[in-house]
Parts: sequence; C-alpha cells; structure tokens
Amino acid sequence: MSIGRIGWLVAVAAVLGMTGPAAAQRAAPWPWQQDPFPTRYHAPAADDMLLRGATILDGAGGRIDGGDVLLRGGKIVAVGKNLANPGVREVDARGRWITPGVIDVHTHNGTFVLPLTAIDREASDVAEVATPNSADTWIETGVNAEDMGFDRALASGVTTLQILPGSTPIFAGRSVVVKPVGGATVWDMKAAGGVQGFKMACGENPKSWGADDKNEGPTSRQGVIGFMRQEFIEAQRYKRAVEQARAGVGAMPPRDLKLETIAGILAGDVRVNLHCYRAGDIAAMLSVAKEFGFRIGAIHHATEAYKIPELLREAGTCAAVWADWWGFKVEAQDAIRAEAPLLERAGVCVMMHSDSPADGQRLNIAAAKAAAAGRRIGIETPPEVMIKWTTSNPARLLGLEKRVGTLAPGYQADVVLWSGDPFSIYSRADIVLIDGAVVWDRSKPHSEPVSDFEVGRGGIGQ
Amino acid sequence: MKSLVSLLAITMATPATAQSIAVTHAEAWTMESDTPVRDATIVIENGRILSVTAGGSAPAGATVIDARGKPVTPGFVNGATQIGLVEISGSPDTSDTGSTDDRNPGNDVSRALNGNSTLVGLARADGLTRALIFPSPSRHAPFSGEPAFARLRDGVDILDVADVGVYAVIGGGAWDRLGSRGVQWTALRKALDEGRRALAPPPPTDEKKRSKGDGPPGGPPGDRNPGAEMIRGVLLGEVPLAIQAHRESDIRQAAALASDFGIKLIIVGGADAWRAADVLAAAKVAVIVDPSANLPFNFDQLGTRQDNAAKLAKAGVRVAVGQAGGPIHATYNAGMGLREGAGLSVANGMPYADALRMVTVNPLAIWGRGGGTLTPGAEADLVVWDGDPLEPASIALHVIIEGREAPNRSRQDMLAERYKDAR
Repeated sequence: MSIGRIGWLVAVAAVLGMTGPAAAQRAAPWPWQQDPFPTRYHAPAADDMLLRGATILDGAGGRIDGGDVLLRGGKIVAVGKNLANPGVREVDARGRWITPGVIDVHTHNGTFVLPLTAIDREASDVAEVATPNSADTWIETGVNAEDMGFDRALASGVTTLQILPGSTPIFAGRSVVVKPVGGATVWDMKAAGGVQGFKMACGENPKSWGADDKNEGPTSRQGVIGFMRQEFIEAQRYKRAVEQARAGVGAMPPRDLKLETIAGILAGDVRVNLHCYRAGDIAAMLSVAKEFGFRIGAIHHATEAYKIPELLREAGTCAAVWADWWGFKVEAQDAIRAEAPLLERAGVCVMMHSDSPADGQRLNIAAAKAAAAGRRIGIETPPEVMIKWTTSNPARLLGLEKRVGTLAPGYQADVVLWSGDPFSIYSRADIVLIDGAVVWDRSKPHSEPVSDFEVGRGGIGQ
Repeated sequence: MKSLVSLLAITMATPATAQSIAVTHAEAWTMESDTPVRDATIVIENGRILSVTAGGSAPAGATVIDARGKPVTPGFVNGATQIGLVEISGSPDTSDTGSTDDRNPGNDVSRALNGNSTLVGLARADGLTRALIFPSPSRHAPFSGEPAFARLRDGVDILDVADVGVYAVIGGGAWDRLGSRGVQWTALRKALDEGRRALAPPPPTDEKKRSKGDGPPGGPPGDRNPGAEMIRGVLLGEVPLAIQAHRESDIRQAAALASDFGIKLIIVGGADAWRAADVLAAAKVAVIVDPSANLPFNFDQLGTRQDNAAKLAKAGVRVAVGQAGGPIHATYNAGMGLREGAGLSVANGMPYADALRMVTVNPLAIWGRGGGTLTPGAEADLVVWDGDPLEPASIALHVIIEGREAPNRSRQDMLAERYKDAR
C-alpha cells in the first residue's frame, strides 16, 4: 500500500508542477495543458449547517458513531463528536448516516442519453468512431446537459461524475468531470481542479470494430497493442520537438490535436482511464505504459485484475470495477463479484464504477454486493473500508483527492445525509450537498421536473 | 395454527425418512400472513413441506439445518428472465433466445433449456429456485413464442413446465418486424379472431387437451402447430397471453383486449402501467415489472418510475418482479437482480411482505402455477438466508429445491477461491 501511495504522491506532485518544468515554463502551459472549454460552474450559495448525531463514514477509512459534521461557506469545517454550534442551522441526523458524496468515474451520461432513438443508433455521441484514434476529441463537446441521468444520479447521492468516451476507438478522447447540478450546458456543471482524464481501450471492443469491413483498424489484440505503441512513438517525437522549440532549438511543429493529447499522456498531464478486461490485456498495457514512461490511472472494468494484483499495485494503477457485470462477452467470462474485496486486501487502489445510468444510482449497493461475495470466501470488509470504493479512491483517480471524497476540514462540502446505512437497499439520499449547498432534499419533492427533457412529459418528475 | 399442531403430531409419530430435512430456529416467511413465524421448525419430507411450527422439534433422523434465527423464505421465483437460454449474450452462437424461422411460428424454449449454464448456477446461489423463461422476438411478430417454467434443480434438466403461455411484444420492440402499433394490434387481434373461429365447431373427441401442470413438454417435434395450438389455449383460458409493452396507450389496448376476448393477460414491462392501474385491476390484468427502472430506455417508457409496483399493488393489480435490472442484469443476475428490485420497491412504498410476494407467490400465480408458500403440502423450495433476503448484501446459505439441498456454489465462488491468495 505504501508503495502505491508514494507513487500517487509523486504523480500528484508532477501534476501540480512541483517537479519537472521550471517556473518560467509553468507560466506558459504546454499545448496539452490548455483547456479550450473552460468551466462556467459557480458554486451556489452555501447552506451552512451542523449535522448532528449521525453514523459517519469519512471516506478515508474512518468511522464515528454518533458524530457531527459542520459545514460552512461551502467547506467542511469540522468532523467529530459534540461539536459546538457556531450559530448555523442544526439538522437532527440521529439514526442516519453521513458520507462524502458518491463519485462515479465511469459514466456515459450526456452522450448515452435515454431514451434512445434512431439517431443514437445511426450516429452516437458516446465515442467518435471514424478512426481508431480519436485523441483529438473532448467528450464535453458532445454532452447533452439535459440528460435526466444526471438528475437520477444526484438524487441517489452522486456528486461527481467522470464522463468518458466509449471503448470503440483505441484512443477514445478526453473525459470531463461534472457535478450533476443541472444547467443548459455541460460547462455549467464542469468541475475544475482535477487532472485531465483520457480514455483508451483494448481487447474485444476495438478489435471487433476494426474487423468490420467498413472500418480501418487493427483486428486483433496484438494489432491493438501495436497500434498504440506506434502512436506513442509518434507522440514522443512530437513532444520532443515541442520541448526543443520551447528551449530555442528548431521550429515549433504545427499543432496536431491527436499528438498533443497523447504527448500530454507521456508528460503525465493527461491521465489514462483504460478499458480492459483480461489479465493478459492488462499486463500488456502496463508494460506499454512502463515502456513509454507514464502511469495508467485506472484499469476500468478490470475483470481479471484479481488474478494479477501485484502488477497493478507495483504500477500504482487503480482498478475501477463493477460488482456483478459478468459473462456478457467472452473477455468478461471470469468476472467475479468478490473482485473489489480481493483487490482491497492485496493493497490495490480499487473503486466501484457504473458504466450505466441505472447502476450509477447504486454504487454503494454494488460495493455491498462485492463485500458480500468476499464474505462468502471469508474476507470481511467493514463499511468504513467499503465507502472508500465510492468516495476517496475515485477522487484519487480524478486528481481531486484534496478536494472531495473525504470528510475532513478544508474539503469541499460534497456530502450526503442518508436515511440509513448507505449499503442498505432501503436507504435513500435524504439531503445531498455540493460545495455546501443543498442540491437535493428528499423531503421537498420537485414541484416540476429537473431537466428540460422531462417538462410536460408526465414521468417521474411530475 | 391448529392444523400445524396436528401435523406436527403426525410428524412425531412417523419415523423420518432418509429424505427428510428439518430447518430449525427459522424466521419463517410462510407468505400466509404479513409476519413471519418466529423460531419455526420447518419439516420437509419427500419433496414437500410437512409442517411449519413455532418452537417445534426436528423429527428423529432428519437432516437438521439450524437457521439460527435468520430468515427462511420460499424459493424466489423470477417472473421473466432468460437463464438457461443464454451463455454469452454477445456471442449469438451461445444463445437460444430467438427464432429466425420465417416459415413456422413459435419458439418452444423448453427444448433449449440448459441447466448446466453458469448463469443458472449463479441464480441458484442467489436464492432463485424457479423462473419463467421467455423467448425473444421472432419473425412472426408480434408473437415471440412459448415461455416455459424452469426449476433450478441440480443438473441439466431444469424444466418445470413447458408451454405456460404465449409471449408477444407490442410497441418499440416490434417496429422493425411489423411496423406501426396499428398493424401490431391488428395482427394480434386477427390471430385471436382466427383462433376463436377455429374453436367454434366442437373439437374432435380425440383432441388432446393441453396439459397445464405436469408431464413431459409438448410432443415429438413437428406434431403440432405451436402458434395456433397455443392461441387456442389462451382462448380457452388455460394459459395466459403475455404482452411485453410499456406505453400507456398499449397498456390500455391490452386491457381492452383482455376484456374483449375474455382471456388471461399479463403485461411484462409496463413502465406506464401505474397510469392505467385502475383499468388493469378491473380487467384482472397482472403486471411483471422491473422495480429498479427509473430511466426510459425508449420513448415507450417515458413514464417509468420506481414506485410503479407499489402504485399497481395499491390499486389491486397483481404484480411480480421480472426482467429486473434491465438488459444488463435481467438474465445474468436473475436471482440478485430480483432481490435488489424487490428491495427497491420497498424503498419506494411497497409493504415488505407484499414485496416478498412479488418474488414468490405472485409470479407463480400470474403464470398459472400456484404455490410459492411455506405451508404444509407445499412443494419444498425454500432458502435459508444469513440476513434480509431483499438486501443484496445477504447470502443464501442453503437452497432447497424439491426437498433436496441444491448446490449453491457458483463458478464465481470457485474462481474467487482459486485466486483468494493472489497478492
């Protein structure tokens, strides 16, 4: 565990510019560090409050029974017992539970927008599939902010989501991190302050796309890995040319959106979220990352990661897993519900992820199923550890571990007050706060639908 | 309770056979009332429940399973799934769900059931003992074929009863095959009209009446016309017509169809069913729902909401859980998805005992089977849990099917054990 943590600290330091580039260069960001689509999110006015007498899971492994949480000015001020009330609204939370807001690092909300129609089958926004290399794409430019999936996520206690491109292209494009607070555009929800994410894929999805007669691309696992390495070599060349030009040697190469994004991966500024199932695929990709000197943030799905925990641990790479998706394709045959507890015990950073707007509403239930499967083979996982899988560990992947995912002084007040044990199917998110503002209150049902889509259609929003 | 006591006396007087099992110290959910029998002793003999008695003792010679005060329920029953037909859904060469036969209607799924499937083993380990297995859409829209009931006993033969109804799809799922709803409903009504005309003359005396409860499924291949014969069963009230549909307009069409033809009708899916709850109750149309659904997969499902089941039950509609967890879980987690769905229905207003009925007695009753209780004489399908069975975190400790303890170790458990010490 300690090795993994040190790896993370090094990576975080690099991202924050504490190592590497000199101060002068920090002033002028590298091409891959630039964000042409800045956030327009403004935290709403904070609802200061003292939540009193709850069972608290702090997200970092701690548990307090009968504890209080003080929120002021959008931040967590104190977590403990018998806190003094500085004069804020007091909420009786006895019998209820408090956790950090749930973080889902793998959603397609906004691009896989329900209800689906013919246009989604004809030309989906889940991923750009004209070529196997869509590294030039930013998923946020395809996001429909009126997806009611965001509203369902919020009402179930999710406060941060990473929207990833789909897994058809090998280099699938940049991700975006959002808070499900609603808005006319994705930029009204875009969360700043994390590390830029990126999606890559290996295995059956990219190769079966390449094997389609209509498409050009590798048709085998080995072809996919070969394609990746060739692109990384191109990006190495490009990155070196940019760095040399900055140092006054040679001309600045013309901008190339694909190469500069992949150069950002090599520079450690763009973090890879890798869709991968089989142990062999995961191992091959960890070797590629080592060869080109970058760290993969997380293996997503990671169906067989439980067979090779040491490889992920040594690479400082997390696993983002389901509890119980399995079997639906050949490379998912060996999925097991007990994967999360097995990886946790082996010292791998593990988290639950959804890939689905339905399952994304119950990531804590996914954790409960995973822990139960661990219990079947004699591995007990207490609630204060399980909650890491849906809060602080995903925050680490997003580079937001100093801001959200933990209940501690100074953290953003992304907090959920649950009606009961968050791992019980009967519990509901009573109050959800983002940046200290109440954005969901179950005691005050909507007088109107949340997203524009639902207005006047007579569904759940009515 | 008096009858239970007298039955207990019989038990005490009769030496237990080798096949007898006694589950002791059970919180027994008999499904006869809204509360469990505490510290119950459940005696099972020859595949049936002999007695359920508070504080009773186990008969001599019986295999004793101490439930240690934990819940014991009837085996769970999935109202609509496709376990036994599917191994790898992404690989059609391992899937037996649909018909691509242009010439012959019907798809008798009972002939395709595979009890050796890993999906069946997992569902059993999650406490599922029976399931309605439905066919996927065929080229004879709106008909899909004939569903069957499976019983998840150990081994390859998991057929319970074949040909338990006729399964059709109306709406979004049938567009590619038939065209608009007007055409779909007309086609369905035409088939029923033709079936009714064929019924009009007295049937020949040697006509074999369809068996509903037992016996081997169907006859030799090719000895019958599945489509027409099954529709006759529907018109005679022997088996239900199940219509997978979601939109309110279709739900109301279905209710009208049930009244017009006087047939037993089941809605599967029914996202908008809560909007027509009174009409469904009046027409005695049952609904099989996915209580987890709160996002519409297509425009037919715009009304989808998690209190659908609670609203329907309150209006007097008989409700069961099926296709739970949507396309991802409905078949791959046919046991767990069912429990999670029933639990969610409780979180959305369904009384607990009614939620248990949605996964025990109701699906059996809706499909014309009966049973699903822990009562003397009932078929002995039951599960001993280590906690509340509607909590996904609970584990099925013992699964008893047809009076025998069934294996409840899935392939996933075996893989987890194998890699337990990987570090």
